[in-house]
Amino acid sequence: MQFDILLEAFSKVLLNPINFFFVFIGVTAGIIVGALPGLTATMGVALLIPFTYRLEPVQGLIMLVGLFCGGIYGGSISAILIGIPGTPSAAATILDGYEMGKKGLAGKAIGMATLASFFGGTSGALIMTFCSPQLAKIALKFGPPEFFALAFFGLGIIITISGKSLLKGLISGIFGLMITMIGYDPLSGCPRLTFGSTELLGGITLIPVLIGLFGYSQVFQGIEKILVLPTVKSELKHIIPKLNEIKSVFKTMVKSALIGTFIGAVPGTGCDIAAFVSYGEARRSSKNPEKFGTGILEGVAAPEAGNNGATGGAMIPMLTLGVPGDAVTAVLMGALTIHGFQPGPLLIKDHPGVVYPIFAGMILAQFVMLGVGLGGMRFFARIINIDRRIMTPIIFFLCVVGSYAMRFSFFDVGVSLIIGVIAYFMNYYGFPGSPILLALILGPMVEQNLRRSLIISHGNPFIFITRPISAAFIIIGIFVMIASYYRIKKAMEREEKRVSAERK
Amino acid sequence: MKRADIGIGIGLLFLCIWLFWYVGRYRPVEVYFYGPDFFPRVLSVIMMILGLALILNAFAGNSLKKTERIDPRGFIRMLISIGICMGYLFLMKILGFASATFIFLFILMSFLKQRGIIIRILSSLITSIVVWTIFKYFLVIPLPEGVFF
Repeated sequence: MQFDILLEAFSKVLLNPINFFFVFIGVTAGIIVGALPGLTATMGVALLIPFTYRLEPVQGLIMLVGLFCGGIYGGSISAILIGIPGTPSAAATILDGYEMGKKGLAGKAIGMATLASFFGGTSGALIMTFCSPQLAKIALKFGPPEFFALAFFGLGIIITISGKSLLKGLISGIFGLMITMIGYDPLSGCPRLTFGSTELLGGITLIPVLIGLFGYSQVFQGIEKILVLPTVKSELKHIIPKLNEIKSVFKTMVKSALIGTFIGAVPGTGCDIAAFVSYGEARRSSKNPEKFGTGILEGVAAPEAGNNGATGGAMIPMLTLGVPGDAVTAVLMGALTIHGFQPGPLLIKDHPGVVYPIFAGMILAQFVMLGVGLGGMRFFARIINIDRRIMTPIIFFLCVVGSYAMRFSFFDVGVSLIIGVIAYFMNYYGFPGSPILLALILGPMVEQNLRRSLIISHGNPFIFITRPISAAFIIIGIFVMIASYYRIKKAMEREEKRVSAERK
Repeated sequence: MKRADIGIGIGLLFLCIWLFWYVGRYRPVEVYFYGPDFFPRVLSVIMMILGLALILNAFAGNSLKKTERIDPRGFIRMLISIGICMGYLFLMKILGFASATFIFLFILMSFLKQRGIIIRILSSLITSIVVWTIFKYFLVIPLPEGVFF
């Protein structure tokens, strides 16, 4: 750990008001996006990327990181006020948060959610700051077979993000890999699948696909079913919890923050799983488990500390191994690439001037989130009431601008619209969009290292299992895939049982 | 979703057979035995297997149950909004970014039946001017300029 660089990064970020301004913008935009049901942090980061093109990389990246943290926290506001999670990671917060809201304690619930989010987020960011450089040092020893094995491990995440059908998730993933085939072949320079189009020579760029997958598809669904949300009536009083109330949930917050960070660091898990596992653990270890679900502070603190802890955790594999922890970090990985930095083991070594300020920016984002969250709570509560007939056209417009702004190209706007229409239908037919994004990011890494390894070994595929690190990644990858498969299967069975019980 | 799965599976099979044949033209040179056709061919074989599995899965009755259906009226609304967007892109080159954006937002909000003309005008105007200002003066990103701005 290079403490001098870390301290310098902290002073650079914390003492510069411009950096503070960008973090503030990111966090505030994140809370708004997170608080609005139907808009996810993934979509928010994707739409904000075009606004960072001309900024200094550090300023742009800390703004996006701020949006990530704010977005995960913002989901709790609508979960507590209207019983609809703003983001999937706030689903567990409804269990007790909404119950508290119904009792007229919405202010206190949001106050506790803010404090727990701050605590979880700060813990996760600190763990990320101190663990990432160590992990990157190990990863520096990797060669092509190890990188292929790592990408294979990363692609194994497709199983966990496949939703209800593993088969359809895999089809989405392969479809994403096929998209990466378009354009110049990275090894021989031969143009592939361009059909004579000069615009396709450079391949299909990430941002239009990303905006198509997460922006347009949601806009189209929004237009199809214009969503009218219940109006917030709850009065927000007693926002800051009392000291004895904080003391009573402190142990839960510590445990949930650690659980959340650990779960977030496992690629493919994400903030929603971290929130549910933290909630489950808090309930299991509580002296009064029967009170969970009735509207208690502990039931709000646990998932919020957990899901915000996962934000720092999810950044660890992205920054050190080049494997995103979840969908949002996959988009952030795209943002790093756009700014000219290749996430992976060399990132911390080659660009400490960018990575360490990201660490500092993430910690700063937690403090900004605390201030903005507590100070602007009434404003965010009112934002939920904005009519979708105004919001949807504005998001539609931001999608158009976002896909245009990277290369000033109407061709990219067209690509983005087409991907958006495909994603809209995919959603209806049960094909998840996230595996496409993952495949787009990992595709070039998979292909180049697979071919390089086979060239080195003269076509012997055993090269991947005779080298220890590579073998370890492949074995862990297979283990994660099998474990995830059974976890999803179990969850599906539980869901089916619940539905059949409800019908009876 | 059985019929849809079978249809998609068949489509994937045809697409991958075509892709397998098409990428054959990217012949590997001597240095790269694993040439530009290698990975696309591997992917098309995997996709063929997955497509076949999707069809068999559907015939075995294991397709997912449809939880949501496309609302035909909503679908038409979506198609019209894409049409409005196309018009916007065309108009942007003639009128300029900010003015075309204002018209696009106003028309789309009116089409989605947003009440209150003042709200529609104000939200369209503010959004287009704010984003135009950010891109033009703050981020210095060139935007299409037409007759107006």
